[in-house]
Amino acid sequence: MQTSFTPEQLRDPGLAAANEVLRTCVHCGFCTATCPTFVLKGDELDSPRGRIYLIKDMLEEGGPPGALVVRHIDRCLSCLSCMTTCPSGVHYMHLVDYARGVIETRHTRPWHDRLLRRLLAALLPYPARFRTALRAARLARPFAPLLPRSGVLASRMRAMLALAPERLPAADGGMAGKVWRPEGTRRFRVALLAGCAQRVLDPEINAATIRLLTRMGGEVVVPDGSGCCGALAHHLGRHGQTLAEVRANVAAWTREMAGEGLDGIVVNASGCGAMVKDYGFLMRLEPEADSAAKVAALAMDVSEALLRFGYAPSRPPAGITVAYHAACGLQHGQKITEEPKLLLAKAGFRVAMPAEAHLCCGSAGSYNMLQPEIADSLRERKLGNLRDCAADVVATGNIGCLTQLAGHGLPVLHTVMLLDWMAGGPRPAALEAAAVPEPEGEARAHELAAEAAGQLGG
Amino acid sequence: MDVEPPLHEDVLARRGAIVAGLCRLLPEDAVISDRARLRPYETDGMASERQVPLAVALPSTTGEVVAVMRFLHREGVPVVPRGAGTSLSGGALPRADAVVLGMMRMHRILEVDYADRFARVQAGVTNLAITEAVQKGGFFYAPDPSSQLACMIGGNVAMNAGGAHCLRYGVTTNNLLGLTVVTAEGDVVEIGGRHVDAAGYDWLGLLTGSEGQLAVVTEVTVRILHAAEGARAMLVAFKANEVAGACVAAIIAAGIIPVALEFMDRPAIAACEAFAHAGYPLDAEALLIVEVEGSAAEQDALLARISGICARFEPVSLRVSASAEESAAIWKGRKGAFGAVGRISPDYLCMDGTIPTGRLAEVLARIGEMSGRYGLKVANIFHAGDGNLHPLILFDANDADSQRRAEEFGAEILRLCVEVGGCLTGEHGVGVEKRPLMGVQFNPTELAQQRRIKEAFDPGWLLNPSKVFPAADAAA
Amino acid sequence: MTEGAAEGEAPRDEAGIAAAVLAAYEAREPLEVIGNGSKQGMLRPVQAARTLRLGGLSGVVMHSPEELVVSARAGTTLAELDGVLAARGQSLASEVPDLRHLLGSEGEPTLGGAVAANLSGPRRIGGGATRDYVLGVRAVNGRGELLRCGGRVHKNVTGLDLCRLLAGSHGTLAVLTEITLKVLPRAERERSLAVRCAEARAGVAALSIGLGSAFGVSGAAYVPAALAGRVPGLSGPAALLRVENFADSVAYRVDRLRALLAPFGTVDVLEEEVSRQAWRSLRDAEPLADGEGAVWRLSVRPSAGPGVAERLEREMGAAWFLDWGGGLVWLRGPAGERGHASVCAAVAEAGGTWTLLRAPLALRQVVAVIPPEPEALARIGGRVKAAFDPAGILNPGRMRAGV
Ligand code: SF4
Ligand code: SF4
Repeated sequence: MQTSFTPEQLRDPGLAAANEVLRTCVHCGFCTATCPTFVLKGDELDSPRGRIYLIKDMLEEGGPPGALVVRHIDRCLSCLSCMTTCPSGVHYMHLVDYARGVIETRHTRPWHDRLLRRLLAALLPYPARFRTALRAARLARPFAPLLPRSGVLASRMRAMLALAPERLPAADGGMAGKVWRPEGTRRFRVALLAGCAQRVLDPEINAATIRLLTRMGGEVVVPDGSGCCGALAHHLGRHGQTLAEVRANVAAWTREMAGEGLDGIVVNASGCGAMVKDYGFLMRLEPEADSAAKVAALAMDVSEALLRFGYAPSRPPAGITVAYHAACGLQHGQKITEEPKLLLAKAGFRVAMPAEAHLCCGSAGSYNMLQPEIADSLRERKLGNLRDCAADVVATGNIGCLTQLAGHGLPVLHTVMLLDWMAGGPRPAALEAAAVPEPEGEARAHELAAEAAGQLGG
Repeated sequence: MDVEPPLHEDVLARRGAIVAGLCRLLPEDAVISDRARLRPYETDGMASERQVPLAVALPSTTGEVVAVMRFLHREGVPVVPRGAGTSLSGGALPRADAVVLGMMRMHRILEVDYADRFARVQAGVTNLAITEAVQKGGFFYAPDPSSQLACMIGGNVAMNAGGAHCLRYGVTTNNLLGLTVVTAEGDVVEIGGRHVDAAGYDWLGLLTGSEGQLAVVTEVTVRILHAAEGARAMLVAFKANEVAGACVAAIIAAGIIPVALEFMDRPAIAACEAFAHAGYPLDAEALLIVEVEGSAAEQDALLARISGICARFEPVSLRVSASAEESAAIWKGRKGAFGAVGRISPDYLCMDGTIPTGRLAEVLARIGEMSGRYGLKVANIFHAGDGNLHPLILFDANDADSQRRAEEFGAEILRLCVEVGGCLTGEHGVGVEKRPLMGVQFNPTELAQQRRIKEAFDPGWLLNPSKVFPAADAAA
Repeated sequence: MTEGAAEGEAPRDEAGIAAAVLAAYEAREPLEVIGNGSKQGMLRPVQAARTLRLGGLSGVVMHSPEELVVSARAGTTLAELDGVLAARGQSLASEVPDLRHLLGSEGEPTLGGAVAANLSGPRRIGGGATRDYVLGVRAVNGRGELLRCGGRVHKNVTGLDLCRLLAGSHGTLAVLTEITLKVLPRAERERSLAVRCAEARAGVAALSIGLGSAFGVSGAAYVPAALAGRVPGLSGPAALLRVENFADSVAYRVDRLRALLAPFGTVDVLEEEVSRQAWRSLRDAEPLADGEGAVWRLSVRPSAGPGVAERLEREMGAAWFLDWGGGLVWLRGPAGERGHASVCAAVAEAGGTWTLLRAPLALRQVVAVIPPEPEALARIGGRVKAAFDPAGILNPGRMRAGV
């Protein structure tokens, strides 16, 4: 597509990169069809191509963007469905992330919007603060009906309160600096991105991941100094905070790589995985560019790690049908589509795919709190398609999707919980709640598992 | 020389009142009138032409379309209907004095009937969504333009969209049963229905492919077909375009009508392979994708027959896909061809002429000669069964001279198509792109006849202005 | 060239046609346009001072089998065209009916007449109508001007699609002089299945299963008990489905269809020649050709066919059979205004269209022979007619009174 930047403007490396992205777009419009917001809103402005155009204009003109324009960019879920669809290889992610930063610096949002965004950026990446906030939200929930019926602020507040879980699991007791030894001989060594919000909402995911990896002969470390991947701040357009968070992780992992060495950096939240894999680009203008690129190259989703290091179940098939909900960070962000299904099938589950699998469930990081109406519509649509699968349980690879979809009558759990169960771990609690029948031969399976473990050990 | 008909100055002057009028007819978020947000509507799939519209209206029902059309007719305001905005001929290009009527919100599937084999949908349903809606029953909607994922059925009707499989299943016009349209005056008219072949004039046929010149389509009833038991593709590569062309003729002369017969030349092969990794042979001059349908045994029999014919033409390579997945990969390259070319060049012009299939080699040789003369690369994709040629001219839109040369190159190709007995456009439509060339294919008497028909439907020339008819003609 | 007003002119070239039309235009004298007159008994009678015969303008101009195209002058007989195509293993895909027996006429049917009437046979249901195969035409409009529409290529969306508009316009917009068609290979083999079904509804359900299958059914008709004896190969009421393809495919598909259709009744197979005769008979409406009465051709959604036919059988004692999967109702009943009104009402209720195909002159003069159009469309239609034929000289009144 034609662009008209002055040589002056193009000297800004961020803008130059954005220009490169704009130039690859041929304005064919294919991406509109698979964009969740276009499907809902039926407006070019809420489509990837429309947003690309709005961003192009905003950047070309250089001034502060108007509130009406910002609204359409804000509605973008960063689900990256458009990137999967685009035949021309337009890197929409880099473009919209850059645009968000520009909006954050040039556009003044209403006070409540600013407040909310600051709050999210200050809470979510920090497990301790986030726990406290969730507790407060739970206490505040009875007051939700007192909120005004309409208005952005009220609906956002309602959304936040609704998303706070009923019961908060026990804290994981801190993970930084810990090492989990492999069962038997060490076959590989990986760092685990312990994550932030996920640790608070469902610490079992990390526990299952660690059990899986150590059982397969992996040593797992969570290096001191590594923390939130930076995606939350990044999607809120907070460039400074993002860089700080990324820098901390790069430093921590680089130390580890230089020390005992790493065969991979395992991430079990899809959005974070997509983020870490892009560290090379994010830091390309920083002094840590090289080490960031090396870190990014080592990053892998837990499903990739399990396949690479040889996942094998030890229990007989449970006779359960699993509807696989593809998290956007996996299917679009990391182009990981087959691995999780392959693993589930390997573990003996029947796998069902919902219609419109490419559409986001509306979670999208902090999106469901900022754009509750679109997020709710997408959730309803997704739940409908998942129900049509008539499966026993829904599996997905992202904590955001879990929170978004849970609590609506369908048991939803992280893929690793099922895989860990079939490899000898505990039966996931979500199955109990949903009364999924205990498979026959469970006892025998335990024996098998013990045998297998024995063999590994011996 | 093509002179743009003048804008309705009075309409521009009444802009505020017109926008206010639209706001009274439609919900708040269905009217766009601020300049910043009008910009993304200034162009469609042919991004080289741009004009910011007066306003955009996004109706959700036929009733809203009627209200808007009546109002705009009364006010004398031109209307540009727009589906997904994927036109490659600028079919949805606005004008400063025109309201864009976006049909994207009309995306409901209204009725599916397997016994009578039809589906009735709103105009903003995408082509692929129709097939998806009837897939459960084993059916599909046959026309499959490359943009089928995104393009909408209303636009398909307006452009009489084709696709890779139309040699066997026909184009849009052959697959329609009925239309609901809103006339320039704002009357709703039902044409056809759930039966075939209305007695009387074939309004269905006339409206199809009329590029929004005669009425606005709001609902479409299409014929759906049961999918074949299976389909498989084969790839045959040749050392020269002539040889590939002769092979196509031999297949058809043998009484075989494959469901698809697609041709790519060397640069197209390279671009598509880079995108789809379908295993296209990069050392061939010409590549044919031949697809057949039927049971596994029928596929085998047909592919064997075709392989036998191909063998006579000394193919460089011949690969029969072994599975549905392999066939899908083969098609992925072809279907993503336009976008794939976007990866090797910042911009491209996609031409769309049709030639008698027997003239392929000669036409490609002359296009190659032009490519040298204009200093621009070109990749050719050809629906070999039906003669529809898509040369993709690579250029750089940020270089004005490159753009000008590309446009001249394109025009010369289309003149060549007409010269050898073909036509200016096989499936993309005339739009704004080929409007100046209409005189190459039609003489003044013929153009005048078409113009009179346009006027019978739209006496005020308010529907999709500045398209199809050469400017001098339209202004006359 | 002129043979007198009564005989009409029969120019041997396009220029002669254009001159004749121009003369009529200048004289403001209506012109009846006919090929060889095989369908003169159809639709409304034309009151015209002059007659223009196209029979003299004949001959195949071009046939390119590898490109599946043929061009012929409008007066070329279908028999001649078929001979040329058959020599290269091809045919006109829409199976144009020969209505001479039904209409009691004699002239050899021409290509121009077939296209002007958009007459399509049984294959219409799987393939397309005659107009679907028209790639290009040359025609002379009511001002005596020569127009070229479409071309000789399969895909062409340049400008308005006048080919389709002219096909089926019964010579009221322009006089076709040359037509280019898409042709298809003749199938290597054909075979039909006759499913014994006493009930029309069940019969149409069987047709629907066949047409909604993956087996490429190319003909789907239902013949009730009353007419079964008149169709070669049938001994009782039956749903008839045809498969045409390469020999091995036909064998396979017939087997699969037989299994699919078995629940509906005993399935007999009609081999090649019998199958051909059966479909030819249905194509030409032979079962209804003899006997008194008017003949209508109704097109409704297939599932509505049996209801409409049976209702009219009750109301006016009509004889009928169904083609196009049930959607085409061929109907013969008493020629009178009452019966005609019943037909119109039944079709209007079911949603569809009708043509009064055969009737005594007296009836055709007083009733509409095709359904009226909604007002907004009729208004546009009048303007379109004027756009081609401003003086209203081409076949006036043929389709509708006063147009
Ligand atoms: S990232 Fe998702 S929501 Fe945003 S434009 Fe792309 S497809 Fe649409
Ligand atoms: S699909 Fe890609 S090239 Fe096409 S409009 Fe969307 S981003 Fe641009």
